[in-house]
Amino acid sequence: MNIATQTMSTLCDLTLTEAADAVARGEVSSVDLTEAAFAAFDLRDDKLNAVIWSEREASLEAAAALDAKQASGAALGPLHGVPLAHKDMYYQEGRLTTCGSKIRADFRPAYSATVMDRLHAAGSLTLAGLNMAEFAQNASGHNTHYGDCHNPWGYDYCPGGSSSGSGAAVGARCVTAALGSDTGGSIRLPASMCGVSGIKPTQTRVSRYGVMPLSFSCDNVGPLARTAKDCARILSVIAGADPMDPTCATEPVPDYEAALTGDLRGLKVGVPDNYFLEDASPEVGDAFMATLEVLKARGAEIVSVSLPEMDAVATYGAIVSRCEGASAHAQWMRERPGDYALHLSGRMYGGLGIPAVTYIEALSRRGGILKTFASEVFGACDVLATPTLRWRTPTLAEADIDAGTEGAVAAFMEISINTRPINYLGLPAASVPCGLDNNGIPIGLQIIGRPFGEAKVLKVSDAFQADTDWHKTKSPVARII
Amino acid sequence: MSDDLAKLFEDVARTWSSVPLPNPVGVQMALPLQDTITGLAAEHGRMAFEEEPSSFDAALQATKETGS
Repeated sequence: MNIATQTMSTLCDLTLTEAADAVARGEVSSVDLTEAAFAAFDLRDDKLNAVIWSEREASLEAAAALDAKQASGAALGPLHGVPLAHKDMYYQEGRLTTCGSKIRADFRPAYSATVMDRLHAAGSLTLAGLNMAEFAQNASGHNTHYGDCHNPWGYDYCPGGSSSGSGAAVGARCVTAALGSDTGGSIRLPASMCGVSGIKPTQTRVSRYGVMPLSFSCDNVGPLARTAKDCARILSVIAGADPMDPTCATEPVPDYEAALTGDLRGLKVGVPDNYFLEDASPEVGDAFMATLEVLKARGAEIVSVSLPEMDAVATYGAIVSRCEGASAHAQWMRERPGDYALHLSGRMYGGLGIPAVTYIEALSRRGGILKTFASEVFGACDVLATPTLRWRTPTLAEADIDAGTEGAVAAFMEISINTRPINYLGLPAASVPCGLDNNGIPIGLQIIGRPFGEAKVLKVSDAFQADTDWHKTKSPVARII
Repeated sequence: MSDDLAKLFEDVARTWSSVPLPNPVGVQMALPLQDTITGLAAEHGRMAFEEEPSSFDAALQATKETGS
């Protein structure tokens, strides 16, 4: 190991907030961090396949410009100098945005996403577009067009999706954080499977202007990073009203980092007595129960909660996401059916067969179901805790529908059984690492809050990480130097 | 999924959206919708259509976090 490699490893081991704070103190430059990130990708991404495109020269120029700005004494943003890479579905004017698809293989948008503008205004730079499920529509990490993304804890295993490259790149410590998107678990699942932290905000909390749509009722933008504190910093930057997205909430954005006090005294953590733990893998159940002891030691009270309306949530949620996904792609399904992966065209096809009255019924029930759920559940507790995945992480082969693997459709659908309901309900939910399964693949703890309760969700997640080391444990790929 | 249901999906997709069955996986991936249909039938009669103006956004506001 030479000096340069040692430096790369040291810099890549910094969390997002550590890196940003080190830049602010003048201890490290943006160019140093950017060179280290590219060195890590060079060493670690060969088999991982987390990257679809990258721009080394332009990124180093951008980093040098950020260093020059700092040297000039200009005011700095909270992410100044930090190189990031994002799921390849966030529009940047003139920059490639494949959406993980063949159909958009050469797509260069004419405008930029609000979240990208905000991240750049806060001082970060974007050095790569990360692998993802084609049009964000699988939870396994398969991609026919750019190659499957792999799990940094075991190449044979699903990295989770649809933000597969975001989970893998952060889990391999190539970048400190990445945006993902979450329509049925696509931030929380790769966060869980790749041993990192992630948060899906409340529906409408973050602007979706310039973000590839999948299901406009259930799509959310959020970060994957090493720690809850890192997620808090990014969410503080990207959340809030956007005149370009009239569906985005005008609710004030609190200081999420200030909420991370570690003090859980008086806080009630609800543990569902139905749905989320039914038939769970033993190691998942054991890891989950151990998390409760940690939260209890921090002062939280653990209470059992019965969740209402879960059948209705599962039924109506499936209808909404299927119909909206099919609607968004109907034109291409007519004109370019052969350019989709088999499993994707197959999945969307089902949505075309659902009657409009059924879809409208599913939407019309949503508000009432949320009110019932929130009243009964959050009347009894402050946050819910569940495993992010109910069962151990499958291998890519086990969930490979396109290969004709027996049982793959079931494996494919089961991955997101504990995350999908939260999207229909529109609630904020985080996933933080809390153990390893029998195959050495991470297990995630899901924390769910009331609408606009991100601060409390992050507070509980951060308190858990204050007393555990799962988020500090390096994946095998992150140890490659 | 029964053959009848597969045929129904194929007819609806072709008639209303001009999209033919893309591949046999389409039938496989529509399979879980049988559970959705069963679930939907169970909901019928349990919840009435909301007559008054309402929205999901209003529900988010009505149930939002107010503490720290």
